[in-house]
Amino acid sequence: MSGSKHSQAMHFHARAGEKLRNPILQGALRKAKPLFVGKRAKGVASLAEDGLDFDVLRSTAKNIRNRTLADLDAWLEIFEERAVATGAEVLWARDGAEVSRLVVDIARRHGVTKAVKSKSMLSEEALLNEALAAAGIRPVETDLGEYIVQLAGETPSHIIAPAVHKTIGEVEALFAREHGRPLETRTSADIPAMAQEARAVLREHFLSAGMGISGANFLIAETGSAALVTNEGNGRMVTTLPKVHVVITGIEKIVPTLEDFATLMRLLPRSATGQSISNYVSLLTGTKRDGDRDGPEKTIFILVDNGRAKLLGSDYQDMLRCIRCGACMNHCPVYFSLGGHAYGWVYPGPMGSVLTPLYTGIENAIDLPHASTGCNQCGAVCPVDIPLPTLMHRLREEQNERGLRPWPERLALKVWGWVAGKPALYRWLARRTARYLNWLADGSGRIRIFGLAPGWTAGRDLPVSSGLTFHELYSARKKT
Amino acid sequence: MSAKDEILGRVRRGVGKDDFAGRKAAALESLTGPQRGPQPTMAADLVGRFRAKAEYLSSTVASVAKLAEVPAAVAAYLSANGLAAEAVATPDVGGLDWAGSGVDVAARAAVDADKTGISGCFCAIAETGTLMLLSGPQTPATVSLLPETHIALVDVSRIVATMEDAFALLRAEHGSLPRAVNFISGPSRTGDIEQTIVLGAHGPCRVHLILIGTGSLP
Repeated sequence: MSGSKHSQAMHFHARAGEKLRNPILQGALRKAKPLFVGKRAKGVASLAEDGLDFDVLRSTAKNIRNRTLADLDAWLEIFEERAVATGAEVLWARDGAEVSRLVVDIARRHGVTKAVKSKSMLSEEALLNEALAAAGIRPVETDLGEYIVQLAGETPSHIIAPAVHKTIGEVEALFAREHGRPLETRTSADIPAMAQEARAVLREHFLSAGMGISGANFLIAETGSAALVTNEGNGRMVTTLPKVHVVITGIEKIVPTLEDFATLMRLLPRSATGQSISNYVSLLTGTKRDGDRDGPEKTIFILVDNGRAKLLGSDYQDMLRCIRCGACMNHCPVYFSLGGHAYGWVYPGPMGSVLTPLYTGIENAIDLPHASTGCNQCGAVCPVDIPLPTLMHRLREEQNERGLRPWPERLALKVWGWVAGKPALYRWLARRTARYLNWLADGSGRIRIFGLAPGWTAGRDLPVSSGLTFHELYSARKKT
Repeated sequence: MSAKDEILGRVRRGVGKDDFAGRKAAALESLTGPQRGPQPTMAADLVGRFRAKAEYLSSTVASVAKLAEVPAAVAAYLSANGLAAEAVATPDVGGLDWAGSGVDVAARAAVDADKTGISGCFCAIAETGTLMLLSGPQTPATVSLLPETHIALVDVSRIVATMEDAFALLRAEHGSLPRAVNFISGPSRTGDIEQTIVLGAHGPCRVHLILIGTGSLP
């Protein structure tokens, strides 16, 4: 699969260590986490003011997504027919490479030398910017976070806050270099001025680009429309000003009706940023109509598989419900310890730990399903109820079944499985271990240096029990 | 095999069901009677709700009794904010007596140089304080997008409760969707530098709403 070519997911362990030792990154993450968590909590709590219940909404949303996936072949055909009827063109791409080929072809056919882009994670899967640049077409990211990341020559580290890993000082250095002005000392009071600076630079690009490229938050089958949700208004610019608009989106993004879309819109912004609605929500249908004074003359949808179809009917189908809100990573202790780049591919956090192995190959992302504390914060906040920890467990099982785990781990699990099947032996060993650990702790209740696995106690103490096993305590309690 | 056939083939195998024609017919049938999800319960005063939510989203709100008073209200807003008395307007509201209030208004699509854009709206949504604008020959989308200041005229009789109600109105009055349906909820914003929210990203920095009427209309 093409996706594996640029995946760095195999280097998760090495990168994790590097990220933990990066004080600038750690500072940026420490600042961001409480903001994300607090905003989402407030947004979800606001539902109750209108007599809405998060759990009820979420099960409705889950049903909408499940119902669509259950007959996705039919919904895709309906979407295509209706989109074509409104004057749009619909193309299909098996993988990322095909996406890039199609977009470059479209750009060449229309004599495009510059394309403005609204945020599209799928274009990251396809390495579209590299392909465009190689073909002599300049891609300009216009979401402020994506613009910053593009200037830095990096990839987004978060699906809705691409530059969350960047401090104001780093952004200032990029702007000074790119906008050809002297470097200044910046504090948070200067953020509005910096946003205005980017606005002015990007406005020129919006006005002069021959092509706009966007993703779609949803495709609406009923009307053949793309739904686009943004706060900055760059999505509107990209889909209104250039003569050609290309929508790149996954085949799983379909919802049947406008009503279904309205339900999902009560959950998506709240889960992402805590907003009851994002500043701009656009439904884009077809092209410029007779008499219209603005709008693109050509609208082309590219419906992309790139690993999605094979999840249908598999143990991982639940993952296709994902609406890309980012709540899972915003609540993940692993994500906020490492940032998004440690995950090595397009999607970070829990959803990435599931999607990266599935889209780029289980053998190419061995550590990711283990990048979890099992706390299920991600599953608890997911607006479409994806059992993320369960899916990670399935991936771990599959790794084990396919012999992809390191041999000491496989041996250890085999031994444990054998012992666990012999209750007497298990109890005897558990007793010995409890006593041994208790002896190591030497009455303090904590082990400061655990010789067998020193990594465990390098940054924290290992708490131990009183020296009795669960079975012993249980029998003692039954007797009293 | 074409990419489409190959992808649809994979999807069909994954879906794992026969009778494609029957399932597609059932899907199409389900589109004719769309079901609403859980609906919010709100106080009956939709105008008050709309106003409060719009202000919460950093829009400013004024009200006038009738349409003829709009040009004076626009002139007052522009002068109070130190903005030039000139604007681009969507042609549907271009015919008001702007000159009478000393505002130089051009009815057309917006260009980059336009500082203020004046538009109407198809309807407004009380639940979230949102405007719903449709693109069209008389309502070019750029007017609510390019200028730094967007002034929107909202007839209070066009304030509905929810997005679903707005869609019902759209189906009843237009049948199909225009090129762009734009839901606008306050000035554009970004939080991409250190998660600090700043108003005025790519879209307008200021959104001013002028409510028209008393809300007693049916």
